[in-house]
Amino acid sequence: MLLTVTVTLLEGFGTTLKLFLLTLVFALPLGLVISFGSMSRFTPLRCLTQTFVWIIRGSPLLLQILIIFYGPGLLFHLPLLPRFTAALLSFVINYACYFSEIYRGGIQSVPRGQYEAGQVLGMTPSQIFFRITLLQVIKRIIPPMGNELITLVKDTALVRVIGVYEIIWTGESFTKKGLIWPLFYTGLFYLIFNGGLTILFRKIEEKLDYFK
Amino acid sequence: MSVLEVRNLEKRFEHTRVLNDISFTLEQGQALSIIGSSGSGKTTLLRCLNFLERPNGGSISVNGETLFDANDPATQDERRIRAKRLHFGLVFQSFNLFPQYTALENVTLARELLSKANGSESKAEIRDAGRELLAQMGLADRASHYPHQLSGGQQQRVAIARALALHPDILCFDEPTSALDPELTGEVLRVIRNLAEQKTTMIIVTHEMAFARDVADRVIFMDGGFIVEQGDPKEVIDNPKEERTRKFLANYARN
Repeated sequence: MLLTVTVTLLEGFGTTLKLFLLTLVFALPLGLVISFGSMSRFTPLRCLTQTFVWIIRGSPLLLQILIIFYGPGLLFHLPLLPRFTAALLSFVINYACYFSEIYRGGIQSVPRGQYEAGQVLGMTPSQIFFRITLLQVIKRIIPPMGNELITLVKDTALVRVIGVYEIIWTGESFTKKGLIWPLFYTGLFYLIFNGGLTILFRKIEEKLDYFK
Repeated sequence: MSVLEVRNLEKRFEHTRVLNDISFTLEQGQALSIIGSSGSGKTTLLRCLNFLERPNGGSISVNGETLFDANDPATQDERRIRAKRLHFGLVFQSFNLFPQYTALENVTLARELLSKANGSESKAEIRDAGRELLAQMGLADRASHYPHQLSGGQQQRVAIARALALHPDILCFDEPTSALDPELTGEVLRVIRNLAEQKTTMIIVTHEMAFARDVADRVIFMDGGFIVEQGDPKEVIDNPKEERTRKFLANYARN
């Protein structure tokens, strides 16, 4: 029995992991683009980006998943997106907005004197970014990023509303057979995975601890 | 020929005139002190010389070459400004060392990047030169320390070595001891005094009146964005001609 449940849950967790990793692959770079938009000196672009970020961060992810899945069909009579694609799209947009704010905080917290010191030493803007500010930004965003990633792992459970079967759904399916322990078991998957993430982020923080 | 010639420099922020008709020259090997109260435009002047601010009027020439002329757009090309900056070095009030690099790496980084572009020097040569500069600053044993492991005075001396590493024609100091505890200012002033004795061409914005008087060859007193008085430091500081200079120095002596 344990083996059957484990195999079934692992299948569900596979979907969870796939969603988690693909969201990171797309949302991490997209967040950087959005953060540049929200820091732009071109006012219309800045206002537009900030409004977008406000809408996405200010409304429930659950609602965004539903709108992205049903919206195109009901509004424009377009064919529905495949369920997983719609789920991924909502996660990428949502998390890119959160990441963009973390990046913005990190970039803006690097003192202006760092840029100026690079400038008076004749460095190019890209040398200043890659050689001076980037590592300082990374150091500053690691703790909030760790937080955000853990939330992402748990948020993946939401995609069941459009019929993407992740681990909690598979765990819940055993309740029909009168089994409650598979649900606790799904919790264990999350705990172990997030435990791993926590350790990973602590290691990165320690690695960057050599400077202040 | 003067190393530096500044003519009629003007700078406005919005509607505030921060620099008005600033003109002065600096000779090779001279140390020039700029004194004046906060908000008098001293720091803005240094920032204009280092192209961190763009003046609204006037010109800046180094060794006869016009680096900036408000009337000549050709001198304001963004891409060329980078090379022009190298005529000047700047030591900041708040050091601005790069925290993720050791003292030695702070000193060598810019030169390594420059020689990567034109391949003039080997890494080893640059490192040796960097070590020598740190030794000159009394920091031979601190080369592999990170900035947060150094005292303020040591950090500022690393910053001086970093500025010297690019062999600027003119080394600028923006209140180099203002962010330091009183007991640490001495070690930084000593280093600057040594540089003056070696005839380094320098501009020093400072509140250390006694230091300006002893070390500088010339002094400029600024107030409200104008140069009020300039000349021999002993004369300006001991026998100021202008009322405003007298007032500033009297206030200074009282504090």
